[in-house]
Amino acid sequence: MSAERKITETELHALVDGELVADERTAIELLLAGAPAEQALVRDIRDLNEAMRVRYADRLEQPLPERTRKLLARVPRWPSTLATRQAVLAALILVAVTAGLAGYLVRGVMPFPARTEPAFVANAIGAHSVYVPEVRHAVEVKAAEEHLIRWLTRRVGAPIHAPSLVAQGWKLMGGRLVPDQGLPAAQFMYEDATGRRLTLYVRKETGLNNTSFRFAERDGFGAFYWVDRPLAYALSGRLGREDLMRLADVVYAELEALGAAKTPGPPAKTP
Amino acid sequence: MAAEIPRLRRYARALLGDGGEADDLMQDTLERALARLDQWRDGETPRKWLFSILHNLHIDGLRRRSRRPPHVGLDNLGVEQSAPATDGASGRDLDRALQLLSVEQRRVVLLVGLEGLSYAETAEVLDIPVGTVMSRLARGRGRLRALMDYEGGGDRSSRASLRRVK
Repeated sequence: MSAERKITETELHALVDGELVADERTAIELLLAGAPAEQALVRDIRDLNEAMRVRYADRLEQPLPERTRKLLARVPRWPSTLATRQAVLAALILVAVTAGLAGYLVRGVMPFPARTEPAFVANAIGAHSVYVPEVRHAVEVKAAEEHLIRWLTRRVGAPIHAPSLVAQGWKLMGGRLVPDQGLPAAQFMYEDATGRRLTLYVRKETGLNNTSFRFAERDGFGAFYWVDRPLAYALSGRLGREDLMRLADVVYAELEALGAAKTPGPPAKTP
Repeated sequence: MAAEIPRLRRYARALLGDGGEADDLMQDTLERALARLDQWRDGETPRKWLFSILHNLHIDGLRRRSRRPPHVGLDNLGVEQSAPATDGASGRDLDRALQLLSVEQRRVVLLVGLEGLSYAETAEVLDIPVGTVMSRLARGRGRLRALMDYEGGGDRSSRASLRRVK
């Protein structure tokens, strides 16, 4: 390979740690083939990890101190031996099924963790993970270009807006068009002073009812999503849930002020 | 949750050395976790949650003792010189090298390299940005390589050339 593209040290660590998406991984591995010094670093990192695992493996096997076992035993839901754990697991499944049924009957009264999110959320998080690592092509149309909103509104088919998050420290970089099961969706990208990125995903929604804020997590990315017909939104980032929630609140309020959100009040928060 | 306890202990011991301090930290973590089961958020893995609790307890402990000289933990590691191991990676050398990292670097190197947490999970556990995880990881591993003299081992030619590049 030629020297036109240097692999950074960060990329080498990310490669070893399984942090690269498939495309990046292939690209780095190609570059690596002609870079013996970098290969040596990769080998060293792997050797180090292996040395740590070997060195500390027996810490996993050593019996726990008496006081720790007592503490674990005090909590019948979390017993420490394998046999009881399996028994409890079976019991838990039964409880979960029952709770699911109850939860279905008492809609929304009981928090039920096994809620599956609508398909657009996975798409939003997927689009987030694909475009956020981009350096030069993070957005298709920059925020400074005034046709950004006009263009995306026309393509998505409903009036959309990119709320300002400047007061929260996030600058709008721009946006792009993203396919969502054959239909156009919009993605706005924001960046903060430390280079962290956030995306707001918007698509037209006619099938789903309006929902309150909900949280989804996938591949280390979190997203708050909600439906406010005729549009569905997902705000994604690698932020703590609370931080993301605060930003989603701001986005919602901004959208409402901009007139994009229609009459229903702010969505109730489901913690 | 019980399944995670040995991992917590492994991490605590790698972080603090094999003395009683690590087991105390594991015990305190479990106690706090049990007291706060109701605060465990939907969808959060027990691993991430428990490591976060452990981290916060560790920080609190460090703050409480911040007026005392820093505890290096070498007394727990045995101070006799071990013969230079042929692979340059004997267990004691590794213990010692890890203890010579800053605690910030050590946490990241262990959470990612030993416990297999993702960068995002590590960032959440330690409450730092992902970029910081990455830079601490690179610095910490770089330091470990030098301390462990990895460049001199194994495939000498390519490792020597890497040293020149750095």
